[in-house]
Amino acid sequence: MILLDLALTFGVLSLIAFGGMPSVMPEMQRLVVEVKGWTTDAQFIQLFAIAQAAPGPNVLIVSLIGWRAAGLAGAVVALLAVCAPAAVLAWWIADLWERFKDSPWRRAIQQAIAPLVVGLTLAGGYVLCTPAAPDWRLWAIAAGAAAAMLALRVNPLWLLAAGGAAGAFLLQ
Amino acid sequence: MQVAPPRTLTELFMGFLAIGARSFGGVMPWAYRTMVEERRWLSQADFAETIGLCQFLPGPNIGNASIVLGKRWFGVSGAVVAFLGLMALPFVWVMLLGIVYLEWASHPTVRAIVTGVGATGAGLFIGTALKLGRALVRKPAALALVAACFLAVGVARWSLLIVMPLAIVLGVFLARRQWL
Repeated sequence: MILLDLALTFGVLSLIAFGGMPSVMPEMQRLVVEVKGWTTDAQFIQLFAIAQAAPGPNVLIVSLIGWRAAGLAGAVVALLAVCAPAAVLAWWIADLWERFKDSPWRRAIQQAIAPLVVGLTLAGGYVLCTPAAPDWRLWAIAAGAAAAMLALRVNPLWLLAAGGAAGAFLLQ
Repeated sequence: MQVAPPRTLTELFMGFLAIGARSFGGVMPWAYRTMVEERRWLSQADFAETIGLCQFLPGPNIGNASIVLGKRWFGVSGAVVAFLGLMALPFVWVMLLGIVYLEWASHPTVRAIVTGVGATGAGLFIGTALKLGRALVRKPAALALVAACFLAVGVARWSLLIVMPLAIVLGVFLARRQWL
């Protein structure tokens, strides 16, 4: 049953998404494209693009994937599945976290998570702009966007618009 | 600055609806503007602390923030209302965009533009990682962990379900030895 499959797949991702959605993008891409076959790798980057361009949390890419796999019900189930387990965790950790404010273990866990998030977010970017075979045009757009983001302080929407224009030139 | 939490669930819902509705190009700046500057539900320091916790927790950061803040102010109903308010409009937006896109997906120019936007989003991830990574530059063990995670998950495509627990155990071990 596909709704259950969506719920389980995204439910598990929810609990390992330390640092937010970017760090599970490689795993999401692997599961959705390679294991489940809900989208092709070209479609995955396009759904990701739509979720980036729309207002709201970037987690909404899961709704687009759920929608492609199982219609509107799939969209709702995927979104709830990716939010609910983490929400339950946030619910009881919020108090616990406060209580262990000065614990050396809390500091150790925080210090341990930081490099993981950096490495996995890098991997997310790399996987997204390397759909099937390496494509220098996608890498060039991604590198330009990363450099522009670090050098300029503009709303990312402008960068997305510029990237779309670059795509129209380079990718046809 | 005087801060006061929302008084009613309706107010809470409308606040999070306003965040979701306007959050083109990233939610966090709008969450800050709405809750700290406009509605004055919480102080700047309180906001930073809450977001810090939510960035550490697994799951979508701002989704978790809606749960944590909703719970703090109104319990279960607050958490549900804040979450629904946050997601309602963005969900509609993204579905509409998805439907429009599907209509046009066979058009090569449209596909090229959307793929370009996707590659830009990937670049923003890389930029974010580099920004966060600046704090780790002088720590060789942390950089090694960054590289190991990148190679294992991004290049070798190992499952995160295996890499994540291993990396956390290794990371905590290194942190306890003051190497991170």
